[in-house]
Amino acid sequence: MFKTVRSKILAIAILILAFLLVASACHVYFARMNTKQLMVQNYKFSITASSFVQEVKNRVITSEDNLKSLALIGSLYYKTDRSNELTNKAITKIFENYPQTLGGGIWFKPYIIDKSKKYTCFYAFRDKNNKIIIDKNFESKQYDYPNQAWYKQIISEVTPENNIVWSKPYYENQGSYTTMITVGSGVFVDGELVGIATVDWELDSVIEEVSKMKPLEKTFSMYKNGNEIKNSFALFGNIIDDYIIATNDPYIDNKAVIGNSLKEIPWYTDADNLYATTYITYHNKKYIPFVNRLNNGMVLIICLPKSEMFKKVNNFYFLLIMVMIGIALLIPALLYYSLNHYIINPIGKLTEIAQKIGKGEDIQIKIEKPEEFAQLASTFDKMTKDLKSITQERAKINSELSIAKSIQFSSLPNIFPPFPDRTEFGIYASMEPAKEVGGDFYDFFFIDKTRFMFLIADVSGKGVPAALFMMTVKTLINNLSQMNYSPKQLIEIVNNKICQTNKHGFFVTVLIGIVDINTGETSIINCGHNPPLIKRQNSDYEYLQLESNIALGVFEDSKFEIYETKLNPGDIIYTYTDGVTEAINKDNVVYGETRLCKCLNNISDTEPLEITQKIRTSIKEYTDSNMQSDDITMLVFKYNGILNNVKTYKQIAQQGNYKQFYNWLHAVCEEWSINEELSYKLDMCAEEIFANITFYAYPENAGMLEATLTKNDDNISIEFKDDGIAYNPLEKPDPDVNLPPEERPLGGLGIYMIKNMADDIFYKRVKKQNILTLVFKI
Amino acid sequence: MDVTLKRIGLDGVYVKAEGRLDLDNAVEYGTKIKDFIEDSDETVVNLTLDFSDITFISSFGLKVILELYKQLNAQNGTIKLKNVSEQLMSSFKMVGFNKFLLFE
Repeated sequence: MFKTVRSKILAIAILILAFLLVASACHVYFARMNTKQLMVQNYKFSITASSFVQEVKNRVITSEDNLKSLALIGSLYYKTDRSNELTNKAITKIFENYPQTLGGGIWFKPYIIDKSKKYTCFYAFRDKNNKIIIDKNFESKQYDYPNQAWYKQIISEVTPENNIVWSKPYYENQGSYTTMITVGSGVFVDGELVGIATVDWELDSVIEEVSKMKPLEKTFSMYKNGNEIKNSFALFGNIIDDYIIATNDPYIDNKAVIGNSLKEIPWYTDADNLYATTYITYHNKKYIPFVNRLNNGMVLIICLPKSEMFKKVNNFYFLLIMVMIGIALLIPALLYYSLNHYIINPIGKLTEIAQKIGKGEDIQIKIEKPEEFAQLASTFDKMTKDLKSITQERAKINSELSIAKSIQFSSLPNIFPPFPDRTEFGIYASMEPAKEVGGDFYDFFFIDKTRFMFLIADVSGKGVPAALFMMTVKTLINNLSQMNYSPKQLIEIVNNKICQTNKHGFFVTVLIGIVDINTGETSIINCGHNPPLIKRQNSDYEYLQLESNIALGVFEDSKFEIYETKLNPGDIIYTYTDGVTEAINKDNVVYGETRLCKCLNNISDTEPLEITQKIRTSIKEYTDSNMQSDDITMLVFKYNGILNNVKTYKQIAQQGNYKQFYNWLHAVCEEWSINEELSYKLDMCAEEIFANITFYAYPENAGMLEATLTKNDDNISIEFKDDGIAYNPLEKPDPDVNLPPEERPLGGLGIYMIKNMADDIFYKRVKKQNILTLVFKI
Repeated sequence: MDVTLKRIGLDGVYVKAEGRLDLDNAVEYGTKIKDFIEDSDETVVNLTLDFSDITFISSFGLKVILELYKQLNAQNGTIKLKNVSEQLMSSFKMVGFNKFLLFE
């Protein structure tokens, strides 16, 4: 049922909502209950307190009844035979009937019973064993009861109409040493006051009872039944006469205030006025006062601490709050767990797996719950598989493309120099495809012993199809060119063959050059291609003005114009595809033919390799970081003519080997009919340089030396090359040949002699080679 | 390199060699003469070098001759060269050796 994340979240949301509702309900309920309960309690406790109050009232009534009985006995004693024995019995009887009475008696006015006897009184009290004892000790001069305050008060206040007088409480320091209150009544005989009857009430017990007050059973459910109410206190006072009868206020010296004004009780006013509807705050504690007025002007106020009253309610409420807090804490934990378990963890797992898959690991994702993630995982899994198969496909295509690229590249002649023993010409070509495989190509080969053919071409379109077409064309031209056709025949046959096999509408622009390397006679065929640039001796590069034919593969049986020219030694032909002139810079401006021409003319090198590289660099600088949009292909052909005036010799430069070198030198001199004087000079110089290379260029291990002897019209030059450490012998200072022989150094003569003999001498360091050239005029 | 050495007179040596006085041979030529002089019982002060069969002399050959000259000159000796071809003579002149060597 709760399989999906959505349902889980919903469940949690409902749970939270339910919790909030329950919490609010509880709070409202308890808030209301608190008030209500308080009112109920007040009511009920007023009953409880009333029962206690009733007891007090009863005591009062009992005391008064008791008192009346005593007064009656007193009057009887006075009127009758004045039997002490009977009176004692009567008093004892009364005490037995009123078990709560602690003490009391009859006190006659002085000398009224017996003119010779001042004191006549009957006082009874209960001892500790509840035995009633008649104490005659009060008839003593020491006590002198007529002078006691209670006696004076009562006797002065009683009248036949108002025959009951309550004394102010007083501290009894004769008998029981407690706080007492005495209620008195006059003993009237025929309207004459002859004495008083008194009943004592020990107040300490009243207060003590308040402290021990227990709620009645079933007073109210929230209160603990049967337990004492702790920390309660009470005030018992007389409102009419405004004095304190008793109190156990814990913050007041109780004995000291008894009998004083009620105003001395700090909380009294509040309590009396409020009549227990709310709390009083006394010494930072809340109390609920219960006020009860007695009918004779007395008041009993009982203060109960609120916390005690609500202990049970509060306990329950506290428990409930704890439970709520517990639940409140549990919910985030549950949320956290759910989020982690159902969302974060699956995401983490997916992430981890995604990373592993990214690294190429082969992993299957398995998540069963929750449903969303199970679905996501299976989708992910499928995606991974799809991706893998696509990637493999791609990799396959890529590898096939790179194979195609390497096939294409290897099909182009790419070893330079291609004919190292041929001095008649130099050639260099390069192709940089825009994509993996390009549509440009070049080729060159001998079509017979003396005729050399080179071509550069651009197939329409790019990519693999163009490359395949290019391969076809290239093979076709290569094969057909070996058939001994004339250039015109060759190109027409090639065109027809291409047209016949070309179903996809490809065409190819080609520039073909066929050079007789012995004579320099050249045929150039341009089939829709960029015209070549030619540099003749002592002039600049310029476009060859030749007829452009239609591209190959367009129309069958097309006719082609052939351009015939003769190359002289030193002439250079520069051919290219449109990738060169149409290379664009960041402002979308093409490299262009003018720029190409200018750049070519700034190149002083005459070797095809250098020319190609410099143009390539120039284009790169021009396009900067712009993507190459087309294949860039160049082919440079340099015609040298037949060279028989250059001789090259290579040998390891080592002491003892010079003999071989001069044998070669002498042979060349003889072949070229060089006179003896010059040949002697060449010999001397060669030997000197040979020695220099041996000792200075290769001081440790013997290295290779290459000498090139060139015969020109008016001079002979000899060039020495070595790969040794840089050493320019011309920097050596000349020796002084006029010094006396004793002072002359042994060395330094060789270079001096060379300088003397050669007409010109150069040193350069190129590509880690020392090149020293000596020129001798003929 | 073949070098023929003969004593002439009381204090002279006659040297005849054939070939090139170049990088490969000059040192050998010089060494042979010096060894011969050292091995002699008598002091040698005069050296006669016959150049009739010497076809080539480079700075290495000239260096050897200067070395010999310095050695003999210290004992007031001299070097006399015979039958020096014009070609070789130009080399001697080029480095100023004609100023102190004797040519016959």
